This record gives sequence, C-alpha cells and structure tokens, in this order.
Amino acid sequence: MADFIRNPVVALPDPNPASHFSKEELVFTAEEKEKIAEYVAQYPTPDGAVMWALWLAQEKFGFLPSEVMRLVATELSLPYAQVYGVATFYTQYFKEKKGTFVLDVCTCFSCQFCGGYDILAYLEEKLGVKRGHTTPCGRYTLQEAECLGACGSAPMMQVSNGPYAHNLTPEKIDALLAAMEAGKPLPFVSVTLPQDEDEMGGNRRTDAEVVEHYAVPPQTKRTQ
Amino acid sequence: MTKAGDWKSYKRVLLPPVKDLHHLDVYQEQGGYQALRAVLSDWKPEDVTAEVKLSGLRGRGGAGFPTGLKWSFMPPVKPDVPRYLCCNADESEPGTFKDRQLMEYNPHLLFEGILIAGYAMSLKACYLYVRGEFASWITLLQNELSKAYDAKLVGDNILGTDHSMDIIIHKGAGAYICGEETSLMESLEGKRAYPRIKPPFPAQSGIWGYPTTINNVETLACAPIIINRGGDWFAGVGAKKHPGPVLYGISGHVNRPGVYEYPTGMLITDLLEIAGGMRDNKKLKALVPGGASVPVLRADMIDGVTMDVESLQEAGSMMGTAGMLFLDEDTDMVAFLRRVARFYHHESCGQCTPCREGTGWMENLITRIDDGEGNLRDLDLLLDLCDQMEGRTVCALADAAAWPVRNTIKRFRGDFERRCRPAAWAVNA
Ligand SMILES: Cc1cc2nc3c(=O)[nH]c(=O)nc-3n(C[C@H](O)[C@H](O)[C@H](O)COP(=O)(O)O)c2cc1C
Ligand code: SF4
Ligand code: FES
Repeated sequence: MADFIRNPVVALPDPNPASHFSKEELVFTAEEKEKIAEYVAQYPTPDGAVMWALWLAQEKFGFLPSEVMRLVATELSLPYAQVYGVATFYTQYFKEKKGTFVLDVCTCFSCQFCGGYDILAYLEEKLGVKRGHTTPCGRYTLQEAECLGACGSAPMMQVSNGPYAHNLTPEKIDALLAAMEAGKPLPFVSVTLPQDEDEMGGNRRTDAEVVEHYAVPPQTKRTQ
Repeated sequence: MTKAGDWKSYKRVLLPPVKDLHHLDVYQEQGGYQALRAVLSDWKPEDVTAEVKLSGLRGRGGAGFPTGLKWSFMPPVKPDVPRYLCCNADESEPGTFKDRQLMEYNPHLLFEGILIAGYAMSLKACYLYVRGEFASWITLLQNELSKAYDAKLVGDNILGTDHSMDIIIHKGAGAYICGEETSLMESLEGKRAYPRIKPPFPAQSGIWGYPTTINNVETLACAPIIINRGGDWFAGVGAKKHPGPVLYGISGHVNRPGVYEYPTGMLITDLLEIAGGMRDNKKLKALVPGGASVPVLRADMIDGVTMDVESLQEAGSMMGTAGMLFLDEDTDMVAFLRRVARFYHHESCGQCTPCREGTGWMENLITRIDDGEGNLRDLDLLLDLCDQMEGRTVCALADAAAWPVRNTIKRFRGDFERRCRPAAWAVNA
C-alpha cells in the first residue's frame, strides 16, 4: 500500500475523542426538552428544529463537541451525521472551545476601509493574541468576521454572538474590555437614523438602553 | 427634475417619523394593521396580487424581480398541500444594513406585510429567516410578535375572520449563502445549506417540496403601503420602471453614513450630498452601488446616474440591495478586491468546482498582486477565471464573485498594473 494511504495527508478526526463533559452533565433538563419540543412543533418535520436545538445546546455547553452533537441528534431522533453536517456548515456554531468572550471584529470591505483592521490590530496588541486565537487565560477569543450588517457604524464588532458594539475606537475598546472584566452585560445599542436626528431630534425608541449615532468613520491605517 | 421628483419634500413611509413606532399600540394608533383589516374584509386574494403588480414593486433583496409577478407564480390552492412564504432577513451582503434597521424600528410593518402577502397567496405560514448574528434583533422581533399574537393579529382566525396564519422566526447561524433562496430553504429544512438547482423553482417545489415564495424584508414591508395608498400611488414614487421608496444604506468615507429612506431614482450625487459629502473634502474614487456583488463604478462614471435598475444598468452596474459604499481617493483598490475575493472564498458553500476552486484562486492571485509579487499576465488570468466561473454553477454566488473582480480590474486597471512586476525588463546595453 502506498505510504500516503496508510498515512493520509489530511489528519482524520479522532474516531473516539475523549468527552469534555461527564455523563451527568450530558443531558437536557426537562425544561430544555420542552423548549426543543416547542421548536419541533414549528416545523413539519423535526429536522427543521436542528438549528434552534444546536443554538440551545451551544448556550448550555458553550461549544459543540461531538458528544453534544450526538445528544442533539438523540433528542431529535435524527442521524448524528445530519446534525454534524449542519453544525459544521455554519460559522457561528463553535466546534471547539472558545474563550469566555468571543470578539468578532468585522473586517469586511466597508469596515476594512473604515478602520476595522486597525481595531483588530489594537485588540491583538492589547490582548497579546493573534486573530483566530484564544488568550492563554481563556478569557478572550479574537476573530475576524465577515460583514455583520452594520456597515454604516463601522468599525464594529460582535461580542459572543450577542450584542454589537458600533463606531469603535481604542478608548471604546478599553471601556468595553473593562466592562467585560467586571462581568457587566453589554447593552443593546440602538443606532439612530440620520433622518430621525433631523426630523425627530434623536432616536425614535424611547426604550433604547444606549443610543449612538452614525459618525464619520475613522481614518484607516491597515487594510489587512 | 430627477426621476426621484421632488425628493426634498419626500415624506418617509417605511420609517415614518413617529416615536416608538415599534410598539404595537403606537403602530396601531398610526393606522397600523388597517391595510390588513381592509384586505381581510373586502379584498379577494387575487386582487391583492393585482394591486402589487400595479404598484410595480420590485424585490429589494438584490435581484429586483417584480414582486406581484412572483406572487402570481404560486400554483392554485390544493386543500391538502401546504404552501409557505419565507421572509429573507439573512442580510449578509457586504455593505447592506437596511433590513436590520427596519426590523428594529418598524417590525409591525414587516409583520403586516407578511400577513398581507400570506393572504394574497392563500397560505398559512411564514418562516422569517433572520441571520444568527442578529440575535438581539431576533429577541426584539419575538417580543413584538408575541404581542401581535396576543392581539389576534397573527395566529388562528386573525381579527375574527376565518383566515389564519403563523409567523415563525428561524435563527440562522452565520452563512452568507443562506440568503440565496434555495439555500435558505435547505437551511430551514435542517440540512447543510447547499443551494438547489433551478428549476424546479420555489413556487413549484420549495421547502419540504411544497410551493414556496421568498421575499426580502423590505419588499414585504412595502405591501401594507401599497394597500393603504394604492398601487398607482406607489407606482408614481421615484423611477417609473423601478418605483417606490427605498432604504439606501450608505457607508464608507462619507461624513454622515447611515440608512436613508428616499424614492428610487435618486441621483447618486444627490445621495452623496445627503450623506454629508466625502469626508475631509477628499475626492470620490469608487462607488459600490448595491452591495459587494455588484460591479464597482469609477467616480467619473456616476454623473447623472440614478439609483434604479435602468440607469445603473446603463452605467454598467446594478441596483443590488442599495447598500452604497463610497470610497475616497486614498483607497487601495487592490486591497479592496483582495478582501472582496476573500469574502467569496470564505462564503462559497463548496458544492460546485468552478466556485469552490475559482474563488480560492481569485483570492490567491489577488493576494499575490497585493503583495507585489504578481505578474501582468495574472490580470488576464483573473479575467479568464471570471469567464470560467460565470454561469457555470448551481447558484449565483460564483457570478456575484466574478462581477466585482472583472469590473474592478477593468475599471482600475492602472492601479493593478502598477502593483504587478513589469512584463519586460530594461536591458543595460
Ligand atoms: C449568493 C446570494 C446571496 C443572497 N443574499 C440575500 C440576502 O442576504 N438577503 C436577501 O434578501 N436576498 C438575498 N439574495 C437574493 C435572494 O436569492 C432572493 O432573490 C431574494 O430574497 C428574493 O426577494 P425579493 O424578490 O423580495 O428581492 C441572495 C442571492 C444570492 C445569489
Ligand atoms: S455557486 Fe458556489 S455558493 Fe453557489 S452552490 Fe455553487 S459552490 Fe455553492
Ligand atoms: S462591512 Fe463590517 S458590518 Fe458590513
């Protein structure tokens, strides 16, 4: 047998990986099962609920190693291969352990020319970790993201698949990191439409927790 | 007078200036859900579709397909065959951020539009596919949707009539390709989101093989406006062949980026002025008029060009999503194209060889040029690669990758050539 067949060039995944969770941890509670059943009821077949169930599992376990995918597959009575296929297709499902906070800095083209890479470089320096990696303390994972649909308030980032932070500057990053260190949840930020500013004197949502405005984007130094 | 008419006195209808319009009670005080009431009590479903046809509304999701026509493709109702509507809120086209703001500031307009479209096509369920990154907005939508359910505006026997319809929010998980309609359907079915070959088109065989229609958020939000004000009013707003209000998402090197609502057919130069002009009084170098997939325009190509299908096509571009990116004279077009190519390489689903491999080669070649190691013939290789990719794949992502590459190289060839190694070297005699 040729050597490359015995030693494949591509590393194959370990067929029997060590579990990250104990047997007792690897269960859905009655409430979670009920929630999943609610999702299933919304689709003609249980398949449709896979994405919601994976979201629920990721929120519970933090990431989706194969044993968690198997748990989801069992709960939905679907083949493991299907759940694995879905989980590995989408970038927001974490297949390996990430930091407590995942910083997704948008560097797609609007952000690229409005300082996205400068923000990324600032974070790399500040956290002492390159893009795509997690800090040794396990607190932060720094990632480059594709357009997050907030190009007008570039540069921007998303924290842990949750709230957006707009119009970023180094000072703002410092404040955000300090808030995260202190365990404060980041607020939902409402960005005011320019026409609302002119016609209504500010944001139209009186219940918005934090309001920001579209601003002149910063000068760009880096473009990659 | 431009095609947009007297735009300075234009009154917004998608995002009218009303405080807290996202609350159900405020929305109803402002005449919200009146269109739905009217439709349910006095209109026949086919009349709704006819009114939308009359309005001339074209899809706002990128392709600009006439919406009324799309609705009329749905086959006749069969009692035991379910049919579905999908609302495409996957908004991942780089440069586009209008749907997010519409969902944040006027969610009930979207719900009302979905319900009207559902009535017009006699269907009972709509899946609202929102990209996973919009987690905060999904929560906002869920809150407002449950209020609408409590008020009997959605669900069984809407407003006491015998029409019932559910709206189900589906959360994506970060894949640009899910915006493509057949990919969205695969994703909803709980599979890897590989686009399907068309035909069959969604109206024949959509989610779970049932007749399905897919529309963008902004498209559906226009439906209540068309019912309230009449199709002919709508048809009279903006450009004749592409009428209606549009949310322009302006980003890049302007003084006042943001989402602006104006009629179609606005002069690009007027929109630039509205957005405060270029920052630091720099000159405009390039404009992407409708998201990353549409061809870039050089500054000298935008004079007199208006934002509608017809005019942009003449100018050599497309309307796309009306997400406009303005770039100033300091912009490095090679770095720009490198990032665009990287985006498509990252987002290709990998199903078709020309797209999976082609986008990778594009990125490699442009990276080589950006790093100063490219040869002049690489430019022609890139153009050839575009020809090899276009029209040879399952979905339009490969085309969407080829268009910006081809046109950026053609329209900014000098920028690229300067970065390449010379084709011939001077010889010391
Ligand atoms: C690669 C690709 C990505 C797309 N992404 C989106 C998207 O994010 N949002 C959207 O509304 N339409 C998107 N579309 C267009 C949809 O396929 C579809 O045409 C549109 O949702 C139809 O709605 P409309 O007729 O209301 O415009 C995309 C198309 C392609 C080929
Ligand atoms: S063209 Fe690209 S994205 Fe579309 S189906 Fe083929 S490989 Fe997937
Ligand atoms: S390019 Fe960064 S949010 Fe769109």
